[in-house]
Amino acid sequence: MTDHSIENFDPISLEIYWSRLISIADEAATSLVRTAFSTIVRESNDYGTVVMDRNGDSISENTGGIASFSCILPRTTKAFLAKFPAETWRPGDAVITNDPWLATGHLPDFTIVSPIFHDDRLVGFAGSISHSPDVGGSLWSADCQEIFEEGIRIRPAHLLRGGAWNEEFLDLLLGNVRLPEQVFGDLGAQVVANDVAARRVGDFLSDTKLRDLQTLSNAFHSRSDDAMRRAIAGVPDGVYSAILEADGFDDQTTRIVCSVAINGDRMHIDYEGTSPQVNRGINCVLNYTHAYSVYPIKCALDPLSPRNEGSYRAITVSAPGRSILNPVFPAPCNARQLTGHLLAGVIYRALAEVLPEKVIADSGGAPSMRAVFSGLNRERQAFSQVLFASGGMGAAPHKDGLSTTAFPTNVGAGSIEAYENVAPLLVWKKLLRTDSGGAGKFRGGLGQEIEVELRTDTPVRMSLLADRTKYPASGLLGGQCGGPSEILFEDGTKPHPKSRTTVAAGRKVTLRYAGGGGYGDPRSRDRAAVLADLENGYISVDAARQIYGQEIA
Amino acid sequence: MATTRQRSARIGVDVGGTFTDLVLHDPVRKLARTGKLLTTPEDPSIAIVAGISRILTEAGLQPADLHSIVHGTTLVTNTIIERTGATVGLITTAGFRDTIEIGRETRYDLYDLFLELPPVIVPRSRRLEVAERVTADGDTLVELDERGLVEASRRLVEESGAEALAVSFMHAYRAPNHERRAAQIIRELYPTLPLSLSCEVAPEIREFERTTTTCANAYVQPLMHKYLDKLEAKLEQLGFRGRLYIMLSSGGITTPQEAKAYPIRLIESGPAAGAMAASFISKVAGLNRVISYDMGGTTAKICLIENCMPDHKFDFEAGRVRRFQKGSGMPLKVSVVDMIEIGAGGGSLARVDPASKLLKVGPRSAGSVPGPVCYGRGGEEPTVTDSDLVLGRLDPGYFLGGEMKLDLDHVRRAFADKIAPSVGLGDQEAALGVQRIVDEMMAAATRMHLAEKGKDPRDYTMIAFGGAGPVHAFNLARLLKVKRIVVPLGAGVASALGFLVAPPATDMVRTQISALDKVNWSEINSLFADMRAAGLRLLSDAGADPDQVAYRPTADMRHRGQGFEISVSLPSLVLSDSDLDTIRAKFFEVYKAQFGRALEGSPIEVVNWRLACTAPSVNIDIGEGRERTEQSLELARRGERDVLFEEKGWLACAVYDRYKLPTGCVFIGPALVEERESTCVIGPGSKAHIDKSANLIIEIE
Repeated sequence: MTDHSIENFDPISLEIYWSRLISIADEAATSLVRTAFSTIVRESNDYGTVVMDRNGDSISENTGGIASFSCILPRTTKAFLAKFPAETWRPGDAVITNDPWLATGHLPDFTIVSPIFHDDRLVGFAGSISHSPDVGGSLWSADCQEIFEEGIRIRPAHLLRGGAWNEEFLDLLLGNVRLPEQVFGDLGAQVVANDVAARRVGDFLSDTKLRDLQTLSNAFHSRSDDAMRRAIAGVPDGVYSAILEADGFDDQTTRIVCSVAINGDRMHIDYEGTSPQVNRGINCVLNYTHAYSVYPIKCALDPLSPRNEGSYRAITVSAPGRSILNPVFPAPCNARQLTGHLLAGVIYRALAEVLPEKVIADSGGAPSMRAVFSGLNRERQAFSQVLFASGGMGAAPHKDGLSTTAFPTNVGAGSIEAYENVAPLLVWKKLLRTDSGGAGKFRGGLGQEIEVELRTDTPVRMSLLADRTKYPASGLLGGQCGGPSEILFEDGTKPHPKSRTTVAAGRKVTLRYAGGGGYGDPRSRDRAAVLADLENGYISVDAARQIYGQEIA
Repeated sequence: MATTRQRSARIGVDVGGTFTDLVLHDPVRKLARTGKLLTTPEDPSIAIVAGISRILTEAGLQPADLHSIVHGTTLVTNTIIERTGATVGLITTAGFRDTIEIGRETRYDLYDLFLELPPVIVPRSRRLEVAERVTADGDTLVELDERGLVEASRRLVEESGAEALAVSFMHAYRAPNHERRAAQIIRELYPTLPLSLSCEVAPEIREFERTTTTCANAYVQPLMHKYLDKLEAKLEQLGFRGRLYIMLSSGGITTPQEAKAYPIRLIESGPAAGAMAASFISKVAGLNRVISYDMGGTTAKICLIENCMPDHKFDFEAGRVRRFQKGSGMPLKVSVVDMIEIGAGGGSLARVDPASKLLKVGPRSAGSVPGPVCYGRGGEEPTVTDSDLVLGRLDPGYFLGGEMKLDLDHVRRAFADKIAPSVGLGDQEAALGVQRIVDEMMAAATRMHLAEKGKDPRDYTMIAFGGAGPVHAFNLARLLKVKRIVVPLGAGVASALGFLVAPPATDMVRTQISALDKVNWSEINSLFADMRAAGLRLLSDAGADPDQVAYRPTADMRHRGQGFEISVSLPSLVLSDSDLDTIRAKFFEVYKAQFGRALEGSPIEVVNWRLACTAPSVNIDIGEGRERTEQSLELARRGERDVLFEEKGWLACAVYDRYKLPTGCVFIGPALVEERESTCVIGPGSKAHIDKSANLIIEIE
């Protein structure tokens, strides 16, 4: 690839400019969190911000955000540009969508993009995504049969024109959601974030006397592209394959067939042979499939260089049409993460034979498990709260997996005290699960157990978005699988893990989050580590004896 | 003992990683002195007592002449970073013993599969649970199981060898009764055992942060007890009869007794002293809007000071696993001066990143061993100080007033070998690159810090100090478009001044969440009355005149539904519905300044009620005791040196001796002003003068 426009930057200016543009994305993220209304954004980290050039190619993203968001936002921006050509954008505009095929794969995520003008010229775009507390429809759920049940779908539309809200659009949107105040509050926070980024990019261009972002953007992309290509070239050529199964929906087990082909400095990831799309909300659109295929590659091969549009040029991803990894409209896809989060595990399994030192075992939190509770509190006010929590990460070649840590998503948990302050839900326990980390030379991270009591006077609607009840996170190279996920009521009955049910007031639900898979043979685990695990209750006496072969006096 | 001698001298002692700095001031005898000696890490009181004796002798004073000693220590920070604290046992609400280990569940670096998290401060085997439960509204659902508590305490102390206990129950920030009852029971069992309660250490919502802070407090408590007991005994032996004060992270000072109860509040006392010094200088110089810029060997600290006071914030991250990476440390709920700390100091190392082939500076630092290449003590990797030398900013023959000779040739070779070839630049360009990167890092962080507060750097004056501050101030100011820089006399040791000007102070907080228009004012008023009484008691113990204590009530407020609050000042300690309009207007004003938009229709709620209690600070004359030799610009001129400036090339700069520059003298840049501990670089296109307080003032065109 030849690029004529990058020779003007010395490596020192590039480093300075690059860091500054990353700090702009971070500042936008800070503004978003601080002004957001929903606990989803402010407590649980479910959002992202990206600075893009005039073509919609990403330049920088917020630190510690969500990998799928930063990867997909530029694609959405290009879809906006196809509908609203560059010359039609005006300062103060903002365009929004939540269309799964154009954006992040399910309706709850709102993508908002604002133009950046400098000296009266369009020089780039500031974008943000956040998971909205509600999008109407049937609650955030995994069991709908068509996308139309899942909520309101917004095709690309102006949210603001020249700084003024598009009132008719807002009225339509807010009239279709359960929590209009929170939804509007979060939209406002996203607009604040975009404004901040746009202003700072303007200051940046004034300070540096650059005319626009294009030559700089090209230079960054070519650096990132080179870094990734060098990393891929270091992997022996060949085709590496693996298969992974997950619960899917009832008897429709999800089967992911993955092959990773390395050819010089290029990589192709293909999912030929994967399960067909299903009539439930676990279909994963290609945008999301792409994002969660390339992200684990960057973690394993090139974790250090800052990410931008150049990072993934060397990698292509394909999945057969009408498969669960490339469904077509109007397939339901609200719980697309239950399929998309599986990809890191299958890719690492494929690469384990050739890169055993660079990959980790399957993670218990891949896919993530969510529960949504919606109803009225004792003052008859509506509430709708998602319970966010994480399983354990898979073990690494030289260390134990992290307990209760989000991967591949980076949506965290948040304070239970803050949670109990906004909804009539009481958490009786939130504890690490003994023996849930897959045994191995290095142990998988532990999952957790949470018990929630519904302290209402009226029944509560509960939606569950869970997997890994039948297929726990598997281990690598002799490591054992982690504990499966489980959901049960206080009387021992088990609700369907992908369902919406009405639950009587006062009942208690226990959610057990899956542990990560182990790495290597547990019998070769360091004895001091086994004893420490035993002392801390990470493993039981039985496990120590029977799985780790530890003699105990 | 001479009974007629006046007890008027004060000493500030800062125990740092390398040096113990001292500053003495006596307003009656008109004395001011500074001192520096190597820290004695095995027992810091050795250097403290030696330093005090020495500075007293030099000033011709006796220990009995001392009114007070103000002490700052890095003991707390170091104990947490080095993990050398006590064996702590934690008791929690049943179901929550893993809160401090489960944490926030996110990854601070998205692309690192092998992420290191900060080690958990109390291991699981020493975390026990007791039955008790209070709701978010403060209603008791389950009474405290007192027998269970006794058993848990016994197990922790007698079987697990706990040297300190921490207790943290759910919602104790608003309903502390179970924790207080637990404390009674534990104190009956173990009357002298250090005990930390979450409702006292950090009474704020969010169980992970509150419990972690409580455990961290317990973790450093036994050491702090021992340390202060020993120091007090040694000072008494020396003949010291005055008061001992301890510097807090908030910039106030407190009594040794409070420091022993809440040692975690001392964690950032060193950097706070710098901010207090800058606040004082801004007061003397009559500046309302100041960026305090303190750059030392390993970090640069930047702090906004308005109306001669720094802002405070109420969370801090300690012991970061990855230096300066947000999220990689232990979150603490403590009151600290709101500043940013950047991994950019004189000792920060330059390197070329192998993946991107770009030049990077910091955050690793050469420290004092081996130090920068130019120190000639074995350092081989170029640092910021080395680039300062290559660019002509430092005089190889006049570093630390000539005490240390710098090796320029060696430095040039290091740049030519380690940096220049990989980035395709010459050694001078590479050195200039290090400057540009380090200055831009500081500028970017400063811009972001100000932007988050809705402030524009162009409206501010910069006060620059610390060893490397005056070297980089000019360029940093240029990048920030700041027009004026103030460099105090003795800039290299100015932060020690902060110890002597810091007021006795304490900050208190209570969480009580309520819609603004539904606040039960009588409850809040009695809450403020309680906090006021507690603050007054503490400050009276610290020797403050009760009539002189100032109270600053604030509330942490947000729109209902939001999770982060902004701090809004309240009109009075006694409030009623008639204050609602004022409070609401103030909230919107602050909100709009920060975020650019206001949400006028959206309901507001209050989360925390805070009271800052402060005794008056002490005014001192920094120039006191300075020798008045004959001074003029010509006499001060020491020669000329070439300095490389970005976009300007090598320019000949006049070199002046800081100590000989007379008040009122004016000169233009480019120029260099040298003093013992620092050099001030004055770039082209600027004018400098010395004001009546001996400050060097630089005006940039």
